[in-house]
This record gives sequence, C-alpha cells and structure tokens, in this order.
Amino acid sequence: MTDDDLSTLIGSDDPAVGLRAVGALHRLAEQVEAAHIALARREGWSWEQIGDALGVSRQSVHAKHGKAR
Amino acid sequence: MFERFSPASRAAVTGAVGDARDRGDRRVGTEHLLLAVLREGEAEVLLGATAAQAREAAADLDRRALTAVGVDTAGFTQKGPAAKRKSPAFGSGAKAALSRSLAIAVAAKDKRIEPRHLLLALLERDRPDPVAELFAALGIDPTEARARFLPR
Repeated sequence: MTDDDLSTLIGSDDPAVGLRAVGALHRLAEQVEAAHIALARREGWSWEQIGDALGVSRQSVHAKHGKAR
Repeated sequence: MFERFSPASRAAVTGAVGDARDRGDRRVGTEHLLLAVLREGEAEVLLGATAAQAREAAADLDRRALTAVGVDTAGFTQKGPAAKRKSPAFGSGAKAALSRSLAIAVAAKDKRIEPRHLLLALLERDRPDPVAELFAALGIDPTEARARFLPR
C-alpha cells in the first residue's frame, strides 16, 4: 500500500486531524456509554447484563458507573 | 507547586480537571487548561477571546476532524457527563505548561502563579499541541499575543 492509498483509506493525511478525531470519538463513546448505562439501570438491567452487552465484566462496568460522584 | 497558584489559577486548574472528566477525556490537556483559564476572566481580556468562543472553536475542530475521517456526528448532542469517577491525570503537554507557568511567574518576580502566567505558558506551546491549533482557529498569533502582554 502506498502512502496515497493509506490517506484515501483513512480519510485524512494530517496526523493532527486524524488523532483529534480519535480523541473526539473516545469522548463521544464515553458520553453515549454513560447515558445508556444510566437508562439501562433505570429500566432494571443488572450490572451483569450491562457488562455482557458491552463485552466487559460486571465488575469493570460497576466500578466505572456504579455510584454517583 | 500548587501552593504557588493564586486562587483564580487554582480554580482554573481544578476546572480543567472537572471538564476533562465530565467530557470523558482520558487526560487533562492544554485545551482544557485554556478553556478553564479563560473562564477566570482576566485571561479573556488579555487574549481578546472569550471562553465561549474558544469552546465553540474547539467543538468546530472536533467536528471537522471527525468529518475528515468520514464520521458525521451532526445528530449527536451530549445528554450528560461521562461517568468517569476518577479524575483524569494531566497529559504531558499540560504538565509542561503548568511547570512553565511557575518559571514565568518566577521570572516576572510575581509571588503567585496568576491566570496570565498560565495563559503565557499555553501560548508558548508549539504545534502539534492541540492548544496551538486552537489559537490558530481563534485567529490568534501566539507570538504576537505574548509580545502584547509581556512587558508589564
């Protein structure tokens, strides 16, 4: 693969722009995760069910979202 | 080092950590510091840009970066803080800016680190530090801005 092919494939040839997009996506994922875990909890999902849906352990999702700050 | 910070500077640093945590960022970066420093008022006047303008410019850079990699987030609005209970640590750029602000205050023979020292330290950051991109997006020339309020 040439550098030009790579640029076309990833949509940007400026690392500053591409890495900024990664940061923004991470932020977005955190915000969507928090909102939807709160929704699932309100609807009675267990931490285990939420962990399974996210592909992580019950412990890790509870440690991160368990108690209000 | 934090005992050298004035109350306003301390509020800015604490605010930057809180912003980073609520937004779901993994590290406190120089952009968070700038937005928080601008909220302390004095820096807004010195820089000629408001915290609201800087926040909007940063959001615009995000949107453009996402568009560049083919992601359209136009329909997304944040519904609440990201549930990160642990406060994120400072990134290396933010750490460097914080210690630089102390050196700047010492050089100016100021007893405490004021928001303007933090702002000066941020203005010294070179690309590709995100805060340098943000200054550019705000139409601010960091070299010129520093020259403008250094001889005080």
